[in-house]
Amino acid sequence: MEIHLQLYSILREKLPIDAKGGTVMQLDEGATLVDLINELDIKLKVIISVNGDHEPDKSRQLREGDHVKIFSSVSGG
Amino acid sequence: MPHGYNGKILHVDLTNRKFRVEEPGEVFYRKYMGGSALAMHYLLKEMPPGADPLSPENILVLALSVLTGAAISGQSRMTAAAKSPLTGAIGDSQGGGFFPAELKFAGFDAIVIKGKSEQPVYLWIKDGQYELRDASHLWGSITGETEATIKEELGDDKVEVLQIGPAGENGVRFAGILSMSNRANGRTGMGAVMGAKNLKAVAVRGKNRPSVADKAGLSKLAKWGATNLKESDIAGLAKYGTNETTGANQTSGTLPSYNYNSGVFDGWEPIDGTTMYDTVLRGAAEGKQDRLGRDTCYACTVRCKRVVEITEGPYRVDPHYGGPEYETTSTFGNYCNIDDLAAICKANEICNKYGMDTITCGATISWAFEAFNEGKLTLDDTDGLDLTWGNAESMVKLTEKIAKREGFGDILAEGSERAAKKIGRGTEAFLITCKGQEAPAHMARVKRSLAIIYATNPFGADHQSHEHDPAIEDDFEYYTDRMAILGFSEGQEPRLLSDEKIRFTAASQRLYSVMDSLNLCQFVYGPAWQLYGPADVVELVRTVTGWEDVTFEELQVVGERRVNMMRVFNAREGLDRKDDVLPQKLFNPLKGGASDGWKLDRTEVDSALDKYYEFCGWDIKTGNPTRVKLVELGLDWVADQLGL
Repeated sequence: MEIHLQLYSILREKLPIDAKGGTVMQLDEGATLVDLINELDIKLKVIISVNGDHEPDKSRQLREGDHVKIFSSVSGG
Repeated sequence: MPHGYNGKILHVDLTNRKFRVEEPGEVFYRKYMGGSALAMHYLLKEMPPGADPLSPENILVLALSVLTGAAISGQSRMTAAAKSPLTGAIGDSQGGGFFPAELKFAGFDAIVIKGKSEQPVYLWIKDGQYELRDASHLWGSITGETEATIKEELGDDKVEVLQIGPAGENGVRFAGILSMSNRANGRTGMGAVMGAKNLKAVAVRGKNRPSVADKAGLSKLAKWGATNLKESDIAGLAKYGTNETTGANQTSGTLPSYNYNSGVFDGWEPIDGTTMYDTVLRGAAEGKQDRLGRDTCYACTVRCKRVVEITEGPYRVDPHYGGPEYETTSTFGNYCNIDDLAAICKANEICNKYGMDTITCGATISWAFEAFNEGKLTLDDTDGLDLTWGNAESMVKLTEKIAKREGFGDILAEGSERAAKKIGRGTEAFLITCKGQEAPAHMARVKRSLAIIYATNPFGADHQSHEHDPAIEDDFEYYTDRMAILGFSEGQEPRLLSDEKIRFTAASQRLYSVMDSLNLCQFVYGPAWQLYGPADVVELVRTVTGWEDVTFEELQVVGERRVNMMRVFNAREGLDRKDDVLPQKLFNPLKGGASDGWKLDRTEVDSALDKYYEFCGWDIKTGNPTRVKLVELGLDWVADQLGL
């Protein structure tokens, strides 16, 4: 299945620079957010939205056409 | 011969133009270590209770630490402390850059400033020598001009200048003190105190670097940080700035918007750190922003500071005045429902040119926006400025009017709490202040330990006085080793104020408190996501000072000592538990997004405060330190002052 992915901040460097953090990814049917994070080799703690809504449950299964945004997260100041 | 510090404190009496150099000795330095704790010692010892913050009786302390100027990231910071003209309580603020290290090299660990000069002056310190110089010709100048003029007349471009802008001269109650024209001791109005003393600037230059006890050890620690930065949790903060957190906060519903009525803002992406990096950082158009659009503090490899340059359009921005942090894009942006990044950068530039705290300034403007949108203010009140949510042009104009105390800006220059009191009409309901200081952009209705800190912090609502909830909630698994040093072994349920989380609040407050005494950057050092952890802080103190037996527990006591001294300062001014209150707004439900409906509960907060005072060893009824606690901290003389 295809999902639309947008990465922010330092996570953008997981993709080619021209992509500016955005890409369409192919994932196996039934893939979860954990699978996506592992596929991208993200080790930092992240905050994720799926189709515009915050998704704290990383075991969520993704569906065809989902829009996923992933942010790195520290407390700023 | 001390390691890490000079052993000299410069006392300046501006009224009589007299100087005194004090050499307090190692016992003193080990007890307070510098920064805020050291400043509290002088404020309690030498300042009478009840002083008018803008009178000659107020004392302004500029304090470094035993670590300032050491060759490692995150140490070139300075505390400015005095009685706050914004809150009437203790004022306290930290700022970075190159000035702190240069002051250390110029021969002093702190400057204690008393009285008031008859004419505007600036203090010039070079290699242990000092003098007051006329600043009449500088009065009224914006920061960039003052800095250039002082460097020119001293004939040395490497002089570091700490100064106030016109806002400090004008008594704007949230005026800051700036160095490099873009690094601010922003909070609690320390610039107004400096202005009331007719002290325009402090210029420093020095070549005498204090020795380091264990050079090889310090070098090893510094290299570890530089090597691990790219894989660390602050790699994003370094490259994309503190604003990298805007999108994450939007997603989790913790981005204060519409003057704290909501935790989400549809216009977040145009003002996020990633957008800033791509568009307004100097060099972005040529892809050279990593070299041209990021700046740093002395010896720091993180380089998180933003340098914005905008050369076209209605808001042109001079890179000399830096760029906005997350707090600044929030208060001028999402607080006001403004998604115009150039306008926000312009407001930031104005604050740095005139010397104002961007948090209180933007939040005071957002209070006015809400009052206007709720029909409590009209165009007659606002000098014709349309404060409809999102009006960027009015926001920028109002920022400048505040700095100059022009028209409606004169009312807002008093801060939102005094402005609401003056205007009335129910506008108090729109306040987001604690002890008179506006809340920063971290959401206490979701990150609930912030409710305890916002309520109790001696210098008002503050986001850098403890570690926020995620470290002991969702993110706990990432930092188990570091959290174990702090004394925590189990993650806690999100959004609850469990006893363990309250204990965590008090314990992490002590660590942040000692970091504000060691003047360490809280992005580089801390208990969780920072580059260096608690064990590294101990090692840093050991390598620099040579105090071989220093422990984490000893550092925590220094932090605890500072918080207790601040509470005592406030107790002398008549403050107690009745002043540890949160604005009504935080008990109203948030609207929209992931935090929709979230609000604080008064019973839960009151119960949490009981527990917090108990963990602190304070009197639960008054919220103030007991004699037993003060004696335990070696502060018998402080207990005597309170008549305990």
